[in-house]
Amino acid sequence: MTQPSWWQRFDVRGVFWRHLLRFGILNVPPWIEPVVMASWSLFFMFWGPARRAVIRNLGVIKPGSFATVNFFRCYRLFWNYAWTIADNVRFKERRIIPDWEFTGWDHFQEMQQRDGAILLTAHMGSYDLGAHLFSETSSRRIVMVRAPETNPETRAFEQDRAAEGLRIEFNTRSTDLAIDLLSIIRDGNIVAIQGDRVTGEIGFLPATVFGRATRVPAGPFALALAARVPIYPVFVVRLGRRRYRLMTARPIELVRSRDRDDDFRRAVEQWVGELEHVIRECWSQWFTFEPYWPELVA
Amino acid sequence: MNVVVNRPEARWLPSRHRFALAQLVAFARLRQSDQQIENAPDHLILPIDRDQSAAEVYAVAVWVFVTVAAYLTALLPMPLPLAIIAAIPLASVILHLPIVLGGPILRLILGDNDHIKIVSVATMSLLIVWSFYIAHGDSWARFAAWFFFAVLACNAIAAVILWLMRGVVRAEESRCAR
Repeated sequence: MTQPSWWQRFDVRGVFWRHLLRFGILNVPPWIEPVVMASWSLFFMFWGPARRAVIRNLGVIKPGSFATVNFFRCYRLFWNYAWTIADNVRFKERRIIPDWEFTGWDHFQEMQQRDGAILLTAHMGSYDLGAHLFSETSSRRIVMVRAPETNPETRAFEQDRAAEGLRIEFNTRSTDLAIDLLSIIRDGNIVAIQGDRVTGEIGFLPATVFGRATRVPAGPFALALAARVPIYPVFVVRLGRRRYRLMTARPIELVRSRDRDDDFRRAVEQWVGELEHVIRECWSQWFTFEPYWPELVA
Repeated sequence: MNVVVNRPEARWLPSRHRFALAQLVAFARLRQSDQQIENAPDHLILPIDRDQSAAEVYAVAVWVFVTVAAYLTALLPMPLPLAIIAAIPLASVILHLPIVLGGPILRLILGDNDHIKIVSVATMSLLIVWSFYIAHGDSWARFAAWFFFAVLACNAIAAVILWLMRGVVRAEESRCAR
């Protein structure tokens, strides 16, 4: 592996910002935090590609909206993101958890009582914090599957600070990982996967989100079909300072039939329905800093 | 960390607040919160941490920010509207200084640990010294400084009241968090 150049530490995904955030968590008095958050959210508005992508995505989520209004909405999204990643680091460094509200508590409990399940979520709210909460409160083991950090130093930083009791797998070794995950589910545990966007070279299924063609990861659906377990859509939404809601929706049951494509299509439709509903309500927390729909890239 | 489960009124536990004034207000709200709370979630987990109250933190942040911005506006040698515009980003920079300058020094002396308490006391002390200086001046910003000291005085009175009522407060907290 080639050593990254020194300046890559200061790239937006570089390790410098992780160190800075950790420094802030260990040094900023809570009663100054809102001022610090507001300033740094504004600073990150200079991150042009992400800002433009968020504004374009918002244009699809809110059809007919003005770009100027979406610029300010983009600031709100950056503000939420700043608080969310800060809460995540605060938990890792100081073990301080936020207030948690649960909706769909019956589904959530049902998921924990089952012998294996798939937790399907999106890049929203504090996914990491939700997984940490789950690992601390549940008797079931939870394994998170996610895309690795692209910057090697950042990846090493995150691996050094991974929470105890939480296993993270990266979606880069797809064939081996599929077998491992199947085994984890069959042992009665839960696998958490982000199912809203395709990152890297992973299998995908076609989907229509907000009326436009896109792709969602195929892995969770194939895994559910192979392991014969339901998929629980779970979303973590930030309600305010140190206050989150964990929403668990009705499970997606994949019934095996002769037409495998049709099985997937029905499951993807249900997932997309839940995803659209949550994104429409909580657009300021969908942390997708790339153009989501292929047509926006063009 | 201690948590309270499925007790919405525990939001108003004084021990979830930092400053005495906020603790006293929370205690008053807690005593009035016996009635059923509407729209309660299916399940609720409320940790007990002194910095958990959003209303308190935002109120203090706005108060401190406006105070610093007022002091800077009065100091800047330019017309008032321009001074206000310049003071807003400058106030943010000034509030970062104790963290940016003090944090690395504390890290060198005390190690890579949690220094929030020290930075917090140092920042508030600097703000008190600056307010004392402004309050003795003759610029209009002295009113902001007087207000600053009035809030500190109210907080001190609230601390005395809480100390006198400490038994009642503890009993009410135990009732809610049991």
